[in-house]
Amino acid sequence: MTKTVVDVHHLEKTYGKAGERPYTALKGLNFSVAEGEFVGIMGASGSGKTTLLNMLSTLDTPTKGDVIVNGHDVTKMRGNQLSDFRAQEVGFIFQDFNLLESLTAEENIGLPLALQGTPSKVMDQAIQAVAATLSITDLLKKYPAQLSGGQKQRVAAARAIVHQPSILMGDEPTGALDSTSARELLDLLTTINRDQHMSVLLVTHDPFSASFCQRILFIKDGQIGSELKRGELDRKDFYQQVLTELGTFSE
Amino acid sequence: MLTKLALAGVKNRRRDYLVLLAGLTMSAAIFYMFANLATNQAFIKANAVVKSASVVFGFGAVLLALITIVYIMYANSFLLSMRQHDYGLFMMLGAKRRRVGQLVFLETLILGTIATAIGIVLGIVVSKLLVGFLLDQLGLHLAHLTSFYLPAVLFTAVLYIGLFILASLFNLTRLMRTTVQQLLHADQQANQPKSRPFRQFILGLIGIGLLAVGYWALAAIEQLQMTAIPLALVTITLGTYLLFHAAVLAVIRGLRRTTWAKKRLNGFLLGQLNFRVHDYTRMLTIVSLLFAMALGAITVGSGYHRQMPMTADSLGAYTVAVHDANAHQKRLIKQLHVAHQATYTQKVQGKTTYYNAAELKAQPFQLIKSMQSSANGRPHFYTEPLAKFKTSGATQLDFIMLNPNKLGDFAAPKIVSATAFKQLKGATYRVTTVRVKHMADDLTVLKQLDHSEQRRFPQTASQLTIGTYQSFEMMNGIFGGLEFIGYFLGIAFLAMLASCLMFKILSGAPGDLRRYAMLNKVGVRRGLMRGSLAKEIGILFAIPGIMGVIDVLFGLQMFKPLMGKPMSPYLGIGTTFAIFIGLYVIYYVITLGLYLNLVMPRDVARD
Repeated sequence: MTKTVVDVHHLEKTYGKAGERPYTALKGLNFSVAEGEFVGIMGASGSGKTTLLNMLSTLDTPTKGDVIVNGHDVTKMRGNQLSDFRAQEVGFIFQDFNLLESLTAEENIGLPLALQGTPSKVMDQAIQAVAATLSITDLLKKYPAQLSGGQKQRVAAARAIVHQPSILMGDEPTGALDSTSARELLDLLTTINRDQHMSVLLVTHDPFSASFCQRILFIKDGQIGSELKRGELDRKDFYQQVLTELGTFSE
Repeated sequence: MLTKLALAGVKNRRRDYLVLLAGLTMSAAIFYMFANLATNQAFIKANAVVKSASVVFGFGAVLLALITIVYIMYANSFLLSMRQHDYGLFMMLGAKRRRVGQLVFLETLILGTIATAIGIVLGIVVSKLLVGFLLDQLGLHLAHLTSFYLPAVLFTAVLYIGLFILASLFNLTRLMRTTVQQLLHADQQANQPKSRPFRQFILGLIGIGLLAVGYWALAAIEQLQMTAIPLALVTITLGTYLLFHAAVLAVIRGLRRTTWAKKRLNGFLLGQLNFRVHDYTRMLTIVSLLFAMALGAITVGSGYHRQMPMTADSLGAYTVAVHDANAHQKRLIKQLHVAHQATYTQKVQGKTTYYNAAELKAQPFQLIKSMQSSANGRPHFYTEPLAKFKTSGATQLDFIMLNPNKLGDFAAPKIVSATAFKQLKGATYRVTTVRVKHMADDLTVLKQLDHSEQRRFPQTASQLTIGTYQSFEMMNGIFGGLEFIGYFLGIAFLAMLASCLMFKILSGAPGDLRRYAMLNKVGVRRGLMRGSLAKEIGILFAIPGIMGVIDVLFGLQMFKPLMGKPMSPYLGIGTTFAIFIGLYVIYYVITLGLYLNLVMPRDVARD
C-alpha cells in the first residue's frame, strides 16, 4: 500500500460576501494522490481548476471539507504555519514563472533553502545538483531578465524542487512557453517524477501537457466529471485518448 | 468615454492619489511659508539687522526652488508609474495617442492645480500657527510678520503651476515615445547595474576628494568669504553622489558574496537594494544634502537659542538690579537660582549718586574679568580693595548704571565715608544686585522682574542696558531673526526631504507588490517579509541620514565666525541631533506604514 500525499474530502468553495448572490466554484470534491504519482487536473476555463490548486497550496481557504497534504490538515493551519507549509511541503511552478528579477538564477533557486536556514555549503551543493539535473548550470549567475522563457521556467522548476518538497504543483507551467520548451519542461517533470519519486500535480487545459500524466481528473462545474488512467499505454496513444475524452466530456 | 474611463481609474486608486495629493499640497504649503518670509520686504528690512540675513534668504529661496523642482519630478514619476499601465491599456484598446496624451496632460495639470490651491491655503493657516508657535517658544517678537502676503501667494502659484505645466509636457513626451508594450510591462523590467570595479574605485576616490574640498571650503569661510558656500554646495553634491555610487554598490556586492546573504531573506534584501540604490543614487544625494541643511539650520537656530543667555552671562557682573524691592519683586528674587547677591544704599543729589564706603568695604562690588583674559571660556568674577575700586571698578559701566536716576542725565557715582554718607540729604534707595547661576534657567522670572523694575524706573536711554538680562534682550532682538530663520528652514527642509524620499520609495511600490506576492506564494512568513521591507527602507533612509550628519558636523565650521566665544556652533548639538533624528525616524515609520499597506499581500480570509 503506497502512502497518500494529497487527500481531499468533500471540498467546497463558495465565493461572495454576505448579502450577495453566492457562487459555488467547487461542489464537494473527493480525490487523492499517492506518493510518486503524476496526476493531471483538466477542465475548461471556469471549471474550478485554479481554485482547487489554490486550496491545495493554502493560498486560499475552502468553505467546507478537508485537504490533507502529506499528513497535514491544511484547513486547520493559521498564519505562519501556512507560510511554513508552503515553504517546506510544496514546490510550485507558475505560468508566469514568478522569479524575482532582483536576484540571480542561483539566488532564486536558493531561496526556499535560505528560508529554512540551510547552511550555505549544503545550499550550494543542493543548487549545483538540481542545476545539473535541469541543465541550467551555466545560467546560474544570470538574472531572469537575461533568460528566455524556457530557461526561466527551468529555473523556476529548480526552485520548486531544490528543497525536496512532498509534492510539486504546476499551474499551467507550459502556458507561456513555445512548443519545444514546453516539451523539454514536461520531459524534465517526468524525469523528476520518475527518478526522485516526487509526486507531481499538474493543472492544465492543454491535452498535450496532460498526456505526460499517469492519471487525469476532469473537472466540470466544480465536480470531478470523469477520470482517465494511462496504465501501460504509450504517451502518444494516451494523448489520443485524452483528446477523445475531452471531445465527449465537453458535450 | 475615455475621460470617463480615466476618471474611473483615478477613483479606483484614490488612496494612491491621496498620498500624492497630500505630498504635493504639503510641498506647496512649505514653499508658500518660505516665500512669505523671503519676499516680504518689510519683514526683512525690519528684522535683518545682520547684513547677511538677506543673503541667507536668497540662497534659501533658490535652494527651495531647486528642491521643489526635484520634488515635483519625483511626484510626477510616481504619478506616471501608477498610470502608465492604464494608459497602455487604453492605447491597446484603440484609443488614439493624441487623445491619451490630452488625458495625461490634463490629469497632471488638474492634480497640480488642486494641490497648489490647497497648499497655499494650508500654507497661510500653518504660517499663522507655526510662526506664532515658534515666536512664542523662542520668546521673540518679529515686526511685520503676517501670514497672508499677496506677492508670496502669486509667486508660489506661478512657480508651481509653471512646474506642473512642465511636468505635464514631460509626461506627454514620455508617453508619446514609449511603446504600448513598454507601458504595459513597465514594472516588470529591472536593469541590473553593470559592475566596473576599477572605474568605481577611481570615482569613489574622486568623490572623497571633492568632499574634502567642500568641507575645507566651509571651514575656511573667513578666507573665502561668499565663494565658500557655492563652492561647497557643488563639491559636496558631486562628492556625495560619486561616493554613494561607488561605495554603496561595492558594499552590497561584497555582502552578496558572503554566507550571510544566504540566510533567510538577506539575499533578497541585498538584491532589492542593489538595483534600488543604483536607481536612487541621485535622490539619495539630494536627500543627504537636504538632511544636512535641515539639521544644520536647526542646529544653528537652537545654538543661538541656547547660547545667547550663556553669552549674556559673560557680559556683566550682575543679571538684574532692583531698587527698593517691593514684596512682589522680593518674591520673584527668591525664585531665582542666585549665584551672588548684594545690597547697597544709595543717596541721590541732583545728578550724582552717593555710596557708603563702609558698605562697599563690607560687601565689595563684584566685577567681571574681560573674556580675553579668562582661559576656559567661562566668565570670571573678582573684587578689588576699596581704594583701587574707587579709581578702577567704580568707573565701569556695571557700577555706574546702578543709579536710580535713569530718566535724566547722571554724573559719575561718588563713594563717601560712612559718616559723610549719613549727613547727606536727598532721596535714599536700596539697590539689590542679583547674579543668577545660569540665565537660561531663570528667563521667565527675570523677565517679570525686569518688567516690574522698568515700570517703576522707566528708562529712556534704551541703548544702555542694566544688568546682563537686558543685554540678553537686546541680543535677542538682533539675532532672534537668525534663530527663527534657522528653525523655520530646518523644519521646511526636513518636511521636504522626507517627502522626496517617501515618494521615491512609494513609486517603487507597484513593482514590489508583485515581488512580495511571489514571496508569499513561495511560502515566506509575513513577519519575515515585513522585517525585510523595514530593513530595506530603513537602509534607504539611513544612508542619506548618516551622510547628512557628517555634512553637518563639518558644515558647522561655517558658523564659527558668526558665533564667537563663548558661543560655539558645536555646543550642545547632541539634543538637537537627537530631536531631529527622532523626527526623521517618525517619517521613516510613516513611510514604512504606507509601504506595507501598499505591497503586503492581503491575509487569506479564514472562515
